[in-house]
Amino acid sequence: MFTGIRSYFQALRQRAAFEREMDDELRHHIETRSADLMRTGLTRKEAVRRARIEFGGVESYQDECRESRKLHLIENLIQDVRAGLRLLRKNAGFTALAVLTLALGIGANTAIFSIVDAVLLRPLPVSHPEQVSVLSAQQKGHFSDGFSYPNFRDIRSQTSNVFSNVGSYDLGQDGLTVEGKTQPIFTGYVSGSFFPMIGVKPYLGRFILPSEGEVAGADPVLVISYTIWKTRFGSDPSVIGKNVAINGHAMTVIGVAPAGLHVLSALLETQAYLPSGMVALEQGRPADQLTNRSEKYPLILARLKDGVSVAQAQSVLDVVSQRLAKQSPETNDGMALHVWHLEPMGPGTNPASNPVRTFAALFLGLAFMVLVLACLNVANMLLVRASARQREMAVRAALGAARGRLIRQLLVESMLLAGLGCALGIGLGIAASRAISSMNLRTALPFTLNFQFDWRVLVYALAMAFATGFLAGIVPAVRASRTNLSDMLHQGDRSASFGRQRLRSALVAAQVAGSLTLLVVAGLFTRSLSNVRFADLGFDPQHVLNLTMDPHGIGYDEAQGRDFYRQLLARIEALPGVQSAATATTVPMGEFELGGSVEIEGHPVESGQPKRSAGINFVSPDYFDTMRIPILRGRKFTDGDVQNSRYVALINETMVQQFWPNEDPIGRRFTSSDDPKHSIEVVGVVRNSKTGGLVDAPAPYFYAPLAQHYNSLTTLHVRAVASTESIARETVGTIESLAPTMPVYNVETMSESLKSVNGLFLFAFGAGLAGSLGILGLVLATTGVYGVVSFAAAQRTREIGIRMALGARPAQVLSMVCKQGVVIIAIGLLIGLGAALAMGRLVGSALIGIGPNDPLTFVTVSAMLLAVGIAACYIPARRAAKVDPVVALRHE
Amino acid sequence: MTEQAQLLPGTLDLLILKAASLGPLHGYGVLLRIEQITHGALLAEQGALYPALYRLEHQGLLESEWGTSDNNRRAKFYTLTVAGRRRLREETESWNRLAVAIGSALRAKPQES
Repeated sequence: MFTGIRSYFQALRQRAAFEREMDDELRHHIETRSADLMRTGLTRKEAVRRARIEFGGVESYQDECRESRKLHLIENLIQDVRAGLRLLRKNAGFTALAVLTLALGIGANTAIFSIVDAVLLRPLPVSHPEQVSVLSAQQKGHFSDGFSYPNFRDIRSQTSNVFSNVGSYDLGQDGLTVEGKTQPIFTGYVSGSFFPMIGVKPYLGRFILPSEGEVAGADPVLVISYTIWKTRFGSDPSVIGKNVAINGHAMTVIGVAPAGLHVLSALLETQAYLPSGMVALEQGRPADQLTNRSEKYPLILARLKDGVSVAQAQSVLDVVSQRLAKQSPETNDGMALHVWHLEPMGPGTNPASNPVRTFAALFLGLAFMVLVLACLNVANMLLVRASARQREMAVRAALGAARGRLIRQLLVESMLLAGLGCALGIGLGIAASRAISSMNLRTALPFTLNFQFDWRVLVYALAMAFATGFLAGIVPAVRASRTNLSDMLHQGDRSASFGRQRLRSALVAAQVAGSLTLLVVAGLFTRSLSNVRFADLGFDPQHVLNLTMDPHGIGYDEAQGRDFYRQLLARIEALPGVQSAATATTVPMGEFELGGSVEIEGHPVESGQPKRSAGINFVSPDYFDTMRIPILRGRKFTDGDVQNSRYVALINETMVQQFWPNEDPIGRRFTSSDDPKHSIEVVGVVRNSKTGGLVDAPAPYFYAPLAQHYNSLTTLHVRAVASTESIARETVGTIESLAPTMPVYNVETMSESLKSVNGLFLFAFGAGLAGSLGILGLVLATTGVYGVVSFAAAQRTREIGIRMALGARPAQVLSMVCKQGVVIIAIGLLIGLGAALAMGRLVGSALIGIGPNDPLTFVTVSAMLLAVGIAACYIPARRAAKVDPVVALRHE
Repeated sequence: MTEQAQLLPGTLDLLILKAASLGPLHGYGVLLRIEQITHGALLAEQGALYPALYRLEHQGLLESEWGTSDNNRRAKFYTLTVAGRRRLREETESWNRLAVAIGSALRAKPQES
C-alpha cells in the first residue's frame, strides 16, 4: 500500500525522468535482442526489424507501463481539464452565465457564513479555548451569571481539583481621561487570577497580577486594549507608566492587551481592564462590595484542568453549591451552580437556547436555498447543452470511450464551472461581508464587526463549490453518457430528449418552489419592518435629540452632578427653538434597561410564586412632555419631588392591570429591589410605551424621579419646536460651557437611535438580507423558467411548423407553448407554498404585527412570481408563434 | 515457433518473480531466463514483459537499479525484494496445490455404480 503510494508520488515528481528511463530501458531491450539475432546470422537491418516485431507495439506497452503507475489518471484528467477549458472558452456566454449564477450562490453563502463564523464558530483568542468555562447560578427558578465576590472566592478555593484557575470579570462603563480629554469606555474589572486563567501574553508591559485587586481601592492600575492604545495613545511604545484618569481618579497604565482580545463576545471589545478592587470606587457601589454576599455582579470564568470534563466539574460544583447554601443560607439558599463551556459568542446563562443560533441557522438555510437554486439553474443549463452534445457523446461511446470516462469529462466541466464560480463567489462574499462589517450599528459601545475570511470560511466556500459542481453536473453527465448511438442516429434530435424535458421541468418547478419560499420569508421580514416603522411606540420620536453624558467620568460626585444637571436643564429649556428638555437614565430600545423585583404593599406574593418584577426608568420632571407620553391619571413629577420628600412613581397601564387589578392605583405603595429602604407611592398612571425590545410584550414599568434616585450617566432628551438640527450645536455648546471636559456621546436624533441593535437594526438587517436572497432567488427562477420554455419551444419548432402549415393560428401556438410553462410554474408554486408555510413557522417569533401565515404576503408573492413566470414564458412563446412554417420544416 | 508452448495467463508474474529470485536481471535478461527455465515457453510479444515488471515494482515485489550490462551498456536491473520473495513462496505453494488438484482430477476414472 505505502510503497504503491510512494512510487506513485515519485513517478509524479519525476515524470520526465520516468519517461526517459522507460525509453532507455525499452531501447536497451530491442538493441540487445537485435545484437543476439545478428549473432544467428541476420543482417543488422533484418535483426532490428525482427526484434521490433517480437517486441510488439511499443506505444501501447508504454501506455500500460504508465498505467501500472496510475499515471494515466492524471494524464486523462489533464486532458479533460484542457478539453473542458477549451469548451468553456468557446461558449463564453454560457460560461459567463453559469459562473455568475454559481458565484452569486456561493458568494451569498460565504458572506453569511463569515458572519456565523465570526459570531459562533471562531474560537476565543485565548490559550486552549476548549478548557475555558463559565459559571451560572440557578436560584428560585432564575438563572443568573452574576455572583457576589465572597461567593466567587469560596468557589475558587473549593474547586481547585477541577479548575486550574478561576477568574472574575465585572462589567463597567467609565470615563477615560487622557491629557484632559475624556471618553466613555467599556471596562472589565477582573480578579488577579483572570489573566493567568485566559493564558495570553500582554502586547506591551504586564497584566494585572494575581496579587492585585483583592483589596478595595489598593491597586490603581489599568491595562488598555490594543485599539485604545492605537486610537488614544497613537501606538506610543512608551505608554507604560503613563498617568491617566478613570472617572477622575488617577491610574497608571501597566500594559496593553494583544490585538483582538475578547472573552465576552467576538462583537464587543473590552477597552480597559482594571483590578476588581477598584470596582466599588469606580462604579459607585457600596464600599463593602468585595465582602458583601448579596451584591451580585461579576461573571465567573474558570479553566478546566487538563483531562477534566465539564461534567466532572459540574459534579464538584454540585457539592460546592450545597456547602455554600448551608454556610450562608441568607443569600445562597437553594442555589445550584452550573458550568458551561464558554462559547465563542460569550457567556449566556443557558447557551443551549440561544436565539443567535436560531437566527444563524435560519439565514444559513436561506443562503443555502439560493445556492440550491443556482445549482438547479446550472444543472438545467448543462442539460440543455448535454442534449446539444448528444451526438458527440453517442459517437464517442460508439468509438469505445468508457462510460465512466464520459461521465468524468462532463463532471470535470461542471467542476471547472464551479471552481470559477467559487473564485468569483469568494470575491463577492468578501465584498459583501466587508459591506456588512462596516455597517453603522448606532451605538457608543465598542462593537467590532470583524467578519474576516479565515480558513473556516474558505473551507466552507470550497466545500460548497465542490458540492455544487458535483450536484449540478452529475445528473446531466449520467444522462448524457447513457445515450445510445443507434437511438440517437436513427431518431435525430427530437424524441431522444423527451425524458430530459420532463427532468428539466421538474428542476424548474423546484426552482419556482425555492424562490417562492425565499420571497415569502423576505416578504414577511419586510412587512415586519414596515410594521415596526409605523408601530405605535407609545412615545413620539420625531424632533427629539438625544445626548448621553456622564459627569462621573470626569470625577463629579453626586452633589456636583446634581448641580450640573439642574443648571443644564434650565439653560437648555431657555434656548430658542427648544420646546422642552429632560434627562433619563435609559433610552427606549437603548443599550441597556433597568429593572428589578417589586413588592406591592398589601398584596404579598403567595409562597412558591416568583417575585413580581418591573422595569424602571429614572427621569426628570419634564420627561413625559418631552417624550409625549400621555399621563392618563394623577400628576407628573414636579420640582417638589426631592430626596427628602415622599418617594413617588408614575406607573404604566400594564403595571396597574397586573398589580392592582380593578383598583385605583393612585396612592398605593410598593418597594423596589433597586432601593428597598424607601416605600414608593404611586402618583400617576401613564400610557404603555415601548421600552425594551420592539417585539417585547408590554410589561409592568414605572418611572421615578431622578432627583430621588441619582444617576450620573443620563441621556438628555431635547424636543425641538421644528428640526433637531437647528438646536444640536447650541445644545452641545451649552454642555461645553458648563463643563468643558464633559464626555458627550451618542449625539443623534431619537429616530436615529431607534435604529440601534435593540431597535430596528435587526429587523432592517434581517429584511435586507432576506430581501437580497429573495431577489437572487427570483432572478434565478425566472431565468430557469425562461430557459426551459424557450428550449422546449425551440425543440418543437418542426412540430409548430407543421401545426401552422395545417392552419393553426399564432394565438393557438402561443397558448400551447405558454401552457407548458404555466403548468410547471403552478406546480412549483404549490410545492413552494407548502415549504413557505413551514419556513414561516420557523421565523414566526421574529415577526411583528403579522402572523407567519400572513395572507397578504403569500398572495402578493405568489402573484408576483406567477406574473414574472408567465412573462418568462411569453417571450419564447411569441417567438415560436412567429415561426415561418416553411423555414421550420426545411430546418432539418 | 508453433511447437513452442504459450504461457498460461496469470503465470507471467510468477515466472518473473522466479527468474528474478535467481539473481539481479535486466528486462531482456528476465526474458532469456524465463525462456531458459521454461525450456522455451514464449510470450506472445516480448513487450508484454515490461508492464508486468513495472506493476511488480509498483507493488514493491521487485526493486530496480541502473547498472551496466554484459555488453557494457546502461541497463535497469531488477532484484526481488523481501516481500517479493514471500509472494513467490506463497504463489509457488498455491500453484503446486492447484497442479496436484488438477492432476488428480484429470487422472480420475469414471466410478462404477
